[in-house]
Amino acid sequence: MSRVRVEPLGADIEVEAGEALLDAAWRLGYDWPTTCWGQADCMLCRVEVIAGAELVEPAGDDERRALARKLPRSERGPGPRLACQLYVTGDGVVVHKEGVRPLSPG
Amino acid sequence: MTQLDERTATVPFAVTDPWWIDRERYYDRTFFELERDRLWNSVWQMACRLEEIPAVGDYVEYTICDQSVLVVRTGPEQIKGYYNACRHRATQLALGCGSFRGGQIVCPFHGWRWNIDGSPSFIYGAEGFAAAAVAERELHLVECRVDTWGGCVFVNFDRDARPLREALEPMPSLLDPLGVDRMRVYWWKAVRLKANWKMAQEAFLEGWHVMQTHPQLTLGRPADYRADSLEYHSYAHGNSGYWTKPGGRPVWDADREVESIIESSRLLYEGLDAMTLARDMHVIESLRTRPYEKGVFGAQLVQAIFEYAAGAGIPLPMPEDPAALVRWGGVFYLFPNFFILPQYGNALVYRSRPDGDDPEACYFELWSVTIPPASEPEVKPEFGGVYRPDDTSAWPQIPLQDFSNIERQQRGLHSHGFRRLRLAQDYEGGISNMHQELDRYLSR
Repeated sequence: MSRVRVEPLGADIEVEAGEALLDAAWRLGYDWPTTCWGQADCMLCRVEVIAGAELVEPAGDDERRALARKLPRSERGPGPRLACQLYVTGDGVVVHKEGVRPLSPG
Repeated sequence: MTQLDERTATVPFAVTDPWWIDRERYYDRTFFELERDRLWNSVWQMACRLEEIPAVGDYVEYTICDQSVLVVRTGPEQIKGYYNACRHRATQLALGCGSFRGGQIVCPFHGWRWNIDGSPSFIYGAEGFAAAAVAERELHLVECRVDTWGGCVFVNFDRDARPLREALEPMPSLLDPLGVDRMRVYWWKAVRLKANWKMAQEAFLEGWHVMQTHPQLTLGRPADYRADSLEYHSYAHGNSGYWTKPGGRPVWDADREVESIIESSRLLYEGLDAMTLARDMHVIESLRTRPYEKGVFGAQLVQAIFEYAAGAGIPLPMPEDPAALVRWGGVFYLFPNFFILPQYGNALVYRSRPDGDDPEACYFELWSVTIPPASEPEVKPEFGGVYRPDDTSAWPQIPLQDFSNIERQQRGLHSHGFRRLRLAQDYEGGISNMHQELDRYLSR
């Protein structure tokens, strides 16, 4: 179990081993921007890793292909990562993501 | 009219004499299209292994001819099959395999979305359609029939087809006692063969080709490897099986029974890496250290296999009727295209399908499966890749030998000197049985 802080909401998300950040957020009842639901396709779940980048596993083939195909060049670079493809190895990762909300009850 | 006559009237190149098979059945386009429309659209077919979709939301795309379906685990004990086309403008909803995460199936074109139970959950732009066109009942994903047996998922596109279990019998009754449902993938590979899907699988519907095709298995004594050492059984619905006759096991070297059995086991282990695996080889070789009694070595071997399994935590079931163990080493064919060859706690599994739209190309898969120790975690099987039939680094000796004959048969079919296949009544009844059942489908 590793803790990831999501700003600006300030939520701490406990991610299980082998679980992507997005799946953990869903499991804990957060609403997270997406229209492809975890298929590395819509780019809407992408985050900026602002601290603890060394505790994030490198992007795999699916993610690199998706980033190259779907993101404008100006938005690529080391920063953006897809929450649906993001696996962490320890506590202390901080990501920035607008639009994350606790699901309203009901 | 007899049944055979009726079939002849509607099916081209129909089987009129069970021991003669017209060559056109393996390459004629009309026949191939009839198979597509009347066989594959209405027969139970193995779509994937259950272990490929362990978690809710996991899916596998199964393709056959021009059809694609998504086999989805929709609950811990529930699996559904959906025709793979968006209800909007037909986009295939998913390819290959993966997981529908957050329980959602999303069309990549306009973002229409479904819950994994097939109900629509989000219809983007619905306000732009006539209300009736986007009514909820209009938009459910369309299901095909799904059922499971032996650790595998089967699908059928025909709503009126007989139940799976009925179609497969007696194979479940013969194989369940051997624990096939407990087996998991050890390796899984595929080969593209330039041969009709039936030609490829017919190589495994008889066992008497061993003497010539796999000479190493005769331990240098081909004359002692009798063609009639196996018993062949044909069943309803095209199924068949064969295994060693009581007392039919060739004794290659009566004076050296132990070493002969160890040697033939090693040839199977090294030449196939299936049915007899490293752990079995270890057990069999260790029998050298037991006092030898003439004529009981086979029984000692079986006992040692069970003792080892018990000690290693391998849940190898002891059949209620020990006679079931005669089926170790046998070949079991489940119409139309699926084979299980059980041995000890393992099996070799085959599936043959047409490869795209070419009657003379098939996609042939091989799985080596085994009952893992109960303590081993469940993992999704990894597909090992598609290899050329002559790739000596990919294929062990025995499949290489089989593949080379299959493509030569397919080419030979077109020879001016060949018209039809002649079958041995005593050894090749399974092939005839398969073709006769095929004609029943094609004449419906």
